[in-house]
Amino acid sequence: MVKVYSFESCPWCVKVKNYLKARGVEYEVRDIELDEEAAKECQKISGDLTVPVTTIDGVNYVLGFDKRKIDALLGIGNSQLA
Amino acid sequence: MKERIKKDAVIIGAGMAGLTAALYCGRMNLDTLVLENGIIGGQIANATDIENYPGFESVSGSELIGTLQRQAENFGAVIDEFDEIEKVTLKTSPKIIETIEKIYEADVVIIASGMNRRKLPLPEEKKFAGRGVHYCELCDGHAYNGKIIAVMGGGNAAVDAANFLTKYAEKIYLIHRSEFRADEVSQKRLRANDKVEIMLQTEIKALRGSKRLEEVEIFDKKTGETKTLKVDGIFVNIGVEPNTQLFKDELTLSASGRIIAGEDCRTEIEGVFAAGDVREKEIRQLTTAASDGTTAALLAEKYLAKLKEAN
Repeated sequence: MVKVYSFESCPWCVKVKNYLKARGVEYEVRDIELDEEAAKECQKISGDLTVPVTTIDGVNYVLGFDKRKIDALLGIGNSQLA
Repeated sequence: MKERIKKDAVIIGAGMAGLTAALYCGRMNLDTLVLENGIIGGQIANATDIENYPGFESVSGSELIGTLQRQAENFGAVIDEFDEIEKVTLKTSPKIIETIEKIYEADVVIIASGMNRRKLPLPEEKKFAGRGVHYCELCDGHAYNGKIIAVMGGGNAAVDAANFLTKYAEKIYLIHRSEFRADEVSQKRLRANDKVEIMLQTEIKALRGSKRLEEVEIFDKKTGETKTLKVDGIFVNIGVEPNTQLFKDELTLSASGRIIAGEDCRTEIEGVFAAGDVREKEIRQLTTAASDGTTAALLAEKYLAKLKEAN
């Protein structure tokens, strides 16, 4: 399952979530503001609390909104939006 | 092979000017596409308290823009926030906007691509970007709860950022190379906060740290003294630059890199309009961006009607 470490009012987090929705990718929101556990996990993955952090395996991740990197991470090519 | 799609109007940029143009184009039943590859709302998307937009005592950027986006979409405008423009050809008829995924043909192009924040002009910036050097306080401020940070800049954006960050940081240095340009209300608010230390006539000369930013070297222009400041992060607000790279071969740009167009937003190419902060003009406010978006859309519709009549 794709996880997006993020918080509600973060505009780039919203963009990542909208992008995954448009691509038809299911994801789990890990809110680092409301959930201390999620914040700890985020810190462990990227070494920082800067978000959005998108990951599947908790090791490889994309920081911020970078369409090409997210596509590569999720293995979705340059396909049309869903 | 990329799909070719015909549109009445393509609007480049979904900030205040672009979305207002989209709202008006939509209401006039024009087949309208807005392309945005950054954040919808542009510069004001991150603003926490807008207090100078008529009709609102105080409103956040996301709330104001969210409403405007819905208004534009309710009237039929389509906003694509994921595709990215590779090339524009404006002197042909129709005008061609080529993105990574598609090729759009449009009779009207409204350029409302706005401004980008200026990056910190130090070679170490790349190493520390997102690792202590930040450009969006709303996005990254939370990571500095109880920490020591610096805000760089002296305009309204910098002072408002520092005011916002006081809710997280334990200590904030406001560092600016000259005197404040921010309005009195914001300055007063900042000066009243005990967490804030203001350092004017001070330059940041170097960033240091192993994996992430740990300290900055600052130069006091008044005393000629250089010293090191321990900081966990720095938020850069040293101005903006026009987002006109795509248009430099198509349109004449001003010395500051903005598009030259009059108050009617018409550029030197018929059917191409420039609206908002990207247009060379003296006053650049949220209200004037909305005004430009309105003007560009209404004159675009006139141009399209004339074009139809001629064919």
